[in-house]
Amino acid sequence: MIGFHLKRASHDLIGQVILILFPLVLIFFFDFLYRNIGIETGMEIGSQNRATVLAIGFALTFQIYASAMSFETLSEDLFTPMHDRLFSTPAEGRSLVLSVLLSGTVVSFMQSCVVLVFSILILGASFPYFPLVLAIIFLSVLFNQLLGTVLLLFCGSPKVANIVTTVYGSVVPMLVGLYFPLPKSAVFRFFRLYGTPMSLANTASLGVMEGNWLQAIITLGPLFGLSVVLFVLLKGLVRRVVV
Amino acid sequence: MVLQVHEVMKRFNATLALDGCSLEVEQGEVIGLLGPNGAGKTTCIRCIIGLIPIDEGTITVFGMHQDGRNKEIRRKIGYVTQEITLYEDMSGKDNLAFFASLYGMGKDEIGARIPEVAAIIGLEGRLTDKVKHYSGGMKRRLNIGCALMHSPPLIIMDEPTVGIDPQSRSFILRSVKELAKRGSTIIYTSHYIEEVEAVASRIYIMDSGHIIAQGTLAQLVARIQGDHIIEVEVRLGSEEVKSRLLSLPDVKEVVLEGNRYRIAVPAGIPILDKILGAFAHVPLVSINTKQPNLEDVFLTLTGKQLRDEVKS
Repeated sequence: MIGFHLKRASHDLIGQVILILFPLVLIFFFDFLYRNIGIETGMEIGSQNRATVLAIGFALTFQIYASAMSFETLSEDLFTPMHDRLFSTPAEGRSLVLSVLLSGTVVSFMQSCVVLVFSILILGASFPYFPLVLAIIFLSVLFNQLLGTVLLLFCGSPKVANIVTTVYGSVVPMLVGLYFPLPKSAVFRFFRLYGTPMSLANTASLGVMEGNWLQAIITLGPLFGLSVVLFVLLKGLVRRVVV
Repeated sequence: MVLQVHEVMKRFNATLALDGCSLEVEQGEVIGLLGPNGAGKTTCIRCIIGLIPIDEGTITVFGMHQDGRNKEIRRKIGYVTQEITLYEDMSGKDNLAFFASLYGMGKDEIGARIPEVAAIIGLEGRLTDKVKHYSGGMKRRLNIGCALMHSPPLIIMDEPTVGIDPQSRSFILRSVKELAKRGSTIIYTSHYIEEVEAVASRIYIMDSGHIIAQGTLAQLVARIQGDHIIEVEVRLGSEEVKSRLLSLPDVKEVVLEGNRYRIAVPAGIPILDKILGAFAHVPLVSINTKQPNLEDVFLTLTGKQLRDEVKS
């Protein structure tokens, strides 16, 4: 089943390419901008170079949009006459939903990987403890996919879920300081480092790359916890839509 | 007995979708379920499959109680949805394989079954194409094929020919007959009376959530066999003429559809002059008398014209 959904996802080539090309263009653009106008990104940089931090930031941002692609797929199965076709079979509703979720996770993770690898090759980014960074990226992908699916099932409408995701995907990177520097108040600092799931993943990645393991653990814990909460919510919500 | 639906009630808020619906299907039968839009055909089918719970009554499929959770029942049913439910970006083969996998079929089994199903639906040679490149008729046939992959003993087809060309329709009807010959039990719902006449060994007529008549085509027609149908077309139909016709002795029923009156009278009674008298001063376009068919049975029982319902 997962194989079928992976194949299904791969057919939206334009969507996939956009989710890879767009972040690369933006990383290049913002890196160029910050280098030439003499201001610095609002994100925590530590001892890393700017392209590295921007690459992580945009990879995390576009995972949010990738989750929208997954729930478009899921909504095609759950909120169209396809629902009756699928649930007239003996297949478990939960497996159907999970297989879409899992294939979406795999595709989105691969997109993030491609973005990071291209950032290394083209933009001079470098990621110390790269496998660990990828593990954090994977957890973030999983969180975003779960969030998108929960949103879809909760709203019961792909249109509403799409709007919420778009707003979320626009606001959260701003709070992390991806697009412009934020005021240096404690509230904004909190949002930049811990206040949103993206901040948590971003801070954890930076923590790993800086060798600050405590910071990584402190931020990964809540992200993992939130993912578990979403999974539990998902189980309940799936029961509402499947037969 | 393959299927027994007994006194089933189903409400959607204030709407009573099924009102004491009962039907029985024996092994090897092709049942035609005929009814206008909103008659409750699809609701009835969704209840049989277990997609929606019933409020009252019982449904037994292959001797098993349908409680909506019985996977074994679902394994035995092939459901052809009214809408085309296919993955357009995938190939025909991918679609067949995917739906077969949902029934627990293994890779080898699926590989062996695909050519058989392709032959039934007449899509050999086109299965590697993406569904979005298929014509409407081909999609309809693939839609049927997906429900046949697991060789279900009961096939439920919900309006499988909606919106397709006559060639594809006739191909589908031939396929249904072929499946019936091979021993499949089929429930076939349609708006199209001639389709039901062509494929069904027994017919249920449904209206307003309940079965209003059932039997073979001959049995149903025999219900109004003693009648002749006189159809009178005028420039402008009026309720006044209809009332005049109904007041005539021996006129059993008058249905006015637009500018056409359909008048049921007992056979052998010389009544045409009286009928024409009721049309005094009304310009007539045509007069036609005919033996009743299934369409007349439907009209007599429901007072509704199936096709018009579709158009509206």
